[in-house]
Parts: sequence; C-alpha cells; structure tokens
Amino acid sequence: MLTDEDENKELEASSLDTTSETSKTSSINSSTEAARNAKSVKDEELVIPEPRGREYRKYKRANRGKKKKKSVDVILDGKTFTEEDLFSTFESDPRKVNSVEASGTIEANLDDLFKVVGTNDENLEQLDSTPYSYWRLVFKELFRKPMVIVCLVILVLLILFAIFGPMIHFYDPLLYQGGVWTHGERFMDELRLNGGYLGPTKQFWFGLCGSNMGWFEGHDMWSCVVLGTRLSLLLGIVCALVEIVLGILIGAAWGYFRWLDPIMIEVRNFIYNIPELLFDILLMQFFSPYMNRYGFWIVVLVLSLFSWLSLASFVRNQIIIIRDREYNIASQTLGTKNWKMITHNLLPYLISVIVTTVSTAVPYAISAEVGLSYFNLSFQVTQGDMTLGQVLTAAVSGTAFLQHPYLLIGPLVVIVLLTVSFFYIGLALSDACDPKTHR
Amino acid sequence: MTSYIVGYTIIGLIVAFIVFCILVRRQVIFAETPKVQKIFAHPLLFYSFRRLASGLISFLLAILVTFFLIRLAAPPDTTCDTLFANPHIDQMVYNLRCDNWKENMGFSGSTIQQLGKFFYSIIPVPKSLCITNIDTTLGMYTISSCRTFIFDFGRIYKLSGTADGSFVIDYMMPRMGVSFSIGILGVVVEMGLGYPFGILMARYQNGVFDRIGRAYIISVDAIPGIAYYYVWMAILCAWIGLPMRYTEGSFASWLPAILTIGFTGMASIGLWVRRYMLDQFNSDYVKFARSKGLSERRIMWIHILRNAIVPLIRTFPSAIIGALLGTYYIENIYNIPGIGQAVMIAINSSNTSLLSAVIIISALLSIISYILGDVLTAVADPRISLSKD
Repeated sequence: MLTDEDENKELEASSLDTTSETSKTSSINSSTEAARNAKSVKDEELVIPEPRGREYRKYKRANRGKKKKKSVDVILDGKTFTEEDLFSTFESDPRKVNSVEASGTIEANLDDLFKVVGTNDENLEQLDSTPYSYWRLVFKELFRKPMVIVCLVILVLLILFAIFGPMIHFYDPLLYQGGVWTHGERFMDELRLNGGYLGPTKQFWFGLCGSNMGWFEGHDMWSCVVLGTRLSLLLGIVCALVEIVLGILIGAAWGYFRWLDPIMIEVRNFIYNIPELLFDILLMQFFSPYMNRYGFWIVVLVLSLFSWLSLASFVRNQIIIIRDREYNIASQTLGTKNWKMITHNLLPYLISVIVTTVSTAVPYAISAEVGLSYFNLSFQVTQGDMTLGQVLTAAVSGTAFLQHPYLLIGPLVVIVLLTVSFFYIGLALSDACDPKTHR
Repeated sequence: MTSYIVGYTIIGLIVAFIVFCILVRRQVIFAETPKVQKIFAHPLLFYSFRRLASGLISFLLAILVTFFLIRLAAPPDTTCDTLFANPHIDQMVYNLRCDNWKENMGFSGSTIQQLGKFFYSIIPVPKSLCITNIDTTLGMYTISSCRTFIFDFGRIYKLSGTADGSFVIDYMMPRMGVSFSIGILGVVVEMGLGYPFGILMARYQNGVFDRIGRAYIISVDAIPGIAYYYVWMAILCAWIGLPMRYTEGSFASWLPAILTIGFTGMASIGLWVRRYMLDQFNSDYVKFARSKGLSERRIMWIHILRNAIVPLIRTFPSAIIGALLGTYYIENIYNIPGIGQAVMIAINSSNTSLLSAVIIISALLSIISYILGDVLTAVADPRISLSKD
C-alpha cells in the first residue's frame, strides 16, 4: 500500500532522478534501448521513440485513440511486468503512468516505492468495494440518459408551475361568493373589442379564452391552465396510488391463492369484454347527484374502477412464476404465514414493476379524465373544479381553434409535456429497474 | 310468420350441429368413420364450444350489470321527468305518457319481472314486438307497428329525427354501417402503415428511424386521445385542406377520420411488430439461417416476419369486428353519424336503452372476436396443439 509520502517520493524519483544509480535499483524500462537489453520485447513494432521530437509526435498521433496493448514491458527486480500490471499498480494516479512513458527509463528504489504497513484484523473483515445497492444502481442507470434529466426538469417546472403559477400571474377564474362558485375575473370588453378571440399579450400570457368556450369565455387562459394543471396532477397521482394499492393487493392474492384463480379469470374476462367508457358513463350518471360534495373522489373511483386490472394481472403472472421456486417451498415448509410469504418473499421481486406502474399510471389517469371531460361527465366548473381536460374540451369546441390556434396551444402544450415526461420517465425507470442492466 | 320459421330453423340447426358434434366425439355415432371423426370431432371445434360457453357467462354477467346499473344510474321516474315533464301539460296526461313509456321500455312491473323481460328481449329467439301509443285526449292505448325481431334492445324517445317509440335496432343499423365503412378503411390504413413501420424499426434497430418511431409511439400512448386527434384535425383539415365535416358519399370527407384512425392505430401495431421481431432475432433458427449464408433480407422477410406475425393474428378479428362499433371520439369530432356519435346522443338525451344496447352489442362482439382470435392463433401456429380433452 502506498502512503502519500511514498507517492511523493516515487513521483520525484520518476520525474527528476531518472538516471540516478543506487545500490538497490530497479529499472523500469520503456525505452528502446532498455527493451532491447532486456530482450523481453522482440517485436520491432513495439518500439517506442524517444519522448521528444518529430518521431515521438508521429507515434503519438498514430496511436491516438487506440487501446494500449502490451507495448511496454517493465522489469522490476528481475521480474517482467506487462503494461497492464503497471496500470493496475498506478491506477490511483494516472499521472505516474504518463511520467513513466514520458521519462523513458525510470530507476527507482523499491524501498522508497513500497512500504509494509502491516495487517489489521478489522480491515481484513471489510470489503474494499462498495456494497451492492439496488436503488443506487437504478438511479445511476436512470440518470445516464439525458432525456430523463430533461423530462425530470420539465416535470419539476410543471409542478412548480402548478404550485406557484398563481403567485406569478393570476386572474382568478373562480370566486366563491354566497355559497356558490361564480365567474371570477372576466375580460369581456377586451374580448369583444378583438372579435371574440385575443391571442397572447403582455397582460394575458396564454391569451383569453375565446367566445367558443362557453363558461370559460373571457377568462385568462394562463390562470385556467394553472388551475387545471393543479387538479389534473393531483387526480393523476391519487388515481395512480389507488391503482397500485388495489393492483398489488388483488394481484398478490390472485397469484398466491390457487382457489381464487378461476374466479378472478372470469372477472378479468368480464372486464375485458365490456366497453369501459360506457360503463364509466353509466357510473358517472349514477353518481351525478353527489358530484357537488364528493366530486373528486367520485372521479377517482370511476377512473380507478378497472384500471387496477392490468397491474393485478401482471403481478399475478409474476407470482405464479416465482411461487413454486425452492426458497418459497422451503419457507412454506418452515411454516411461514401466507401474508409474510407474500410481503417478504414475493413482492420484493416486483418492486420495479410497481415503480414503473406509478409513473405510467399518472399520465393514463390524466388522459382518462380528459376523455370523461369530453363527454361532459367529469367535474363541473360551476362547482369550483377545473381540470386540463375541461379547458381543452372547451377550447376545441366548434372549429374556432383552427383560426385561433392559441386556444389549443396553451392547454395542449401543458398536457403533452405533463403526460409525455411522466411516461418517458416511467419507461426509462422500467429499464433501469431491470437488474440485468446494472453493471 | 316467415321470419319465425327462418329464425327457429337457424336456432334448431345450430343446436342440432352442436349435439351432432358431441355425439360424434363421444363415438355414439359414426364411430367407425374416420373422415367424419376427423371433421366433427376436431379439437378446435370443441375448444371453440368451450370458449363460447365461458364467453356466455361473461355475457350474462354483462347483461346483469348493465340491467342494474341502468336502473341505478337513471331511475325510470327521473328519466320520465326529463323526457316528459312540461309545465303546460296536465298531470294526468303526463302520467299516461310516463306509464306508456315505462311499458314500452320494460320498466313496468317488479324488478324480477323487468329482469325476465330484459333477458327475453336479448336472448336470440324470434319475438313479435309492438309499440303501444297513447292517445292522450281519450286516454286510450293503441297498438301499432308490430314487427318480428331476433334481438330487441328497446325503444327511443324524444330524439330529433326519430319518432317516439321507434326501435333502437332500427336506429343503430344504418349507423353501424357508417361506422363499419369508416372503421374498416381505418383498419386497412393502420395495418398498411403499422406493419411496415414496425418491420423497419426492427430492421434498423437503434437507428434514426427507430428512434423517431419510438418517440412517435410514446407520444401516441402518452398524450390524451382528444388532444392528439385535434392536432391531426388541425394538420389534415387546416393545412392540407380536407373537409372537416362528414358528408355521405364524398370520400374526401371520410379521409380525415380514416387517416386519424390509421395514424393512431399504427403506433400500437408498430410497437408490437417491432417487439416480436426483435424477440426472434436472437433465436437459434435465425442464427442457423445466417450461418447457412442466407441473405439478411430473406431472413428478415421469410423467416423472422412469419414467426413474428403469429402472435399478432389474434388481433385481426377484434380489429375488424371492433370497426362495427366505431370510435367514440373520432366520430364525434368529425360529425360522423355512427355508433360512437349515437353514444353521445344517448347520453345527452337520456336514452338509456340506446346506451345499454351499445354496451350489450359491444360485449357480444368482443367475446366473439376473442374466440375467433384464439381459434385463428391455434390454426396459424402449429406449436399450439389442442388436446382431445
């Protein structure tokens, strides 16, 4: 083991005292002369010119980018070392290797180079390499992709936009007055003066909601989009959480208990065979009297009614695959309880799937809400709730958005950035979570 | 009368065929004739029967859930209010109309009776159906326009362009035709584009085309359908100048919808084709073909593609049958008078019978297409062997 002091000595020895002759010397030869003397390098191609002058520059240019092969042999105390050995010795500081190459012949005292530091029982027990950490490697793998970082930045900006947007620039479209949500600040005069549509200006960053937008008419688009992003994001995250909890619980039980399988397969067939949107429509009609009070939770319920199925079915398949492995049979024989079997033996295998589902479930829930909004079955703006889906649906009603594209661009850009960045991070995460990609 | 005879004959023939097949398989009849045994005791046939039976359970469940959900979501009295309440008419007249409506819609009687009627209307036996009309001035019911149906999905009230009490099936049939003609052309476009798209992505894996393709697939998958469809509308109608509204007979006005269906569906097809083809790349038979010295093109098109397509055959029937039901969003965007638009109309006009008809028909069609997909896969893939039992 080299101490700092020894390193300094060795550096000095290599850079300054290249020709000193001491009683106990070892010669590290990389020059042609020494190599020929030692007869260890027979090949003429391995000849390295003196480290100055035109010849050397030519050699350097020719070898640029090439992987260094066994071009240098080093003789140390009569033993021959290849260059690879040399590299591994000097791995901690590549400068030394350069200095070896640059100086040509190095003769250093072995005692100066190495010093016996003794052994320590405690150190013997410790591993030099850092212990394997799954999540550290997952994130290391994840952040290797520049797109992931871009998406994360976009996502953080959007979340900040949703939280702090009103502080930057806001004309509240919703005001609570006399127990009802009313039209907040509207700019009907500005709108009328501009023929019903007003694109982005200094005052209205995303423009004004046009006269085709029904309730939204005359409101500031930026403020509507901020409020919409808030609720859509919250809805997406809550739906994703519900989906994960239901999906894992049902999937784990479905895969683990054999008697449950035929029943759940029928349930799955049933859910696959019915048109989901139509069922959502009927359910929303059923719940419409309660929308006023429990609007958010009703939408969560409708959106996550069937969405757990794909995760549950995936978890079930995976559990069936690993359920009968030896370690599980051993646990079972030792009398482990079912619940503990699921949580300790089976679910840790599925952590990557679960993480991936979280990040792709959010954009799916946001999209699903946009779909419900299109059929006018989601929240009611008059009750103080506004989602991106409602803003978008209102913006595209009629064909005015073709003449005034700003109507579409504001909400669309936010929706696209939100869903695509979540989705891309989810895909990258699913790659990174695969232990096969870890190095 | 003729429709009764035809209907019952068809049902009788189907039942007779199934019984015959079972008898042949049990070797009660034709035990010594290998030709008959081979055709009528084919494992595939019995696999289809079994799948049909299990599909029937799903179908019955769907009917039950729809039945109760409709009564919960839109209680008959409330719907009656929205349809007939009018401050200018007499309460007695309102009651008469409402009762007549309930009678025609199958909302009269106890829940068990209603359920019985509902099941009877849906099971495929011929039945004669009449509409009762109410003469509010005399307070008399009159029966008019009796017809024979195999399926009865109820009636339509208070919908512009249709007479009160007209049959849902009459309303749906022409719409189904429109949906199908647009949908099937969309399927042709999406398959015509999707397969080459996936093949090219797999061929030049990690190349520029592959990267662009994957970005496209992610964007289609992540962006909400509505947002995406309107972007296509802006491109196709505002830039290219295709007509924005559907008109019957003008093919140019069909194009935006067809292309939108095609460009959307192409992404998922491309994704799966690429995935299945890449799965095949490292298999032994490909290595063997390569070591034999076959050209890459031949390996790609003859060896890999044929194997990669097998799992995709399952999707053909559902794509084609699914075209019957149209697309909810695209039909509403381009104002196409198809089933998807009918759903929107049904919601806005409280015609739950129309909604339940769409649910039941789509459940039935999806069951049939699943079974067909499985059978097709079994036919196409020689590795799948159906056991005798």
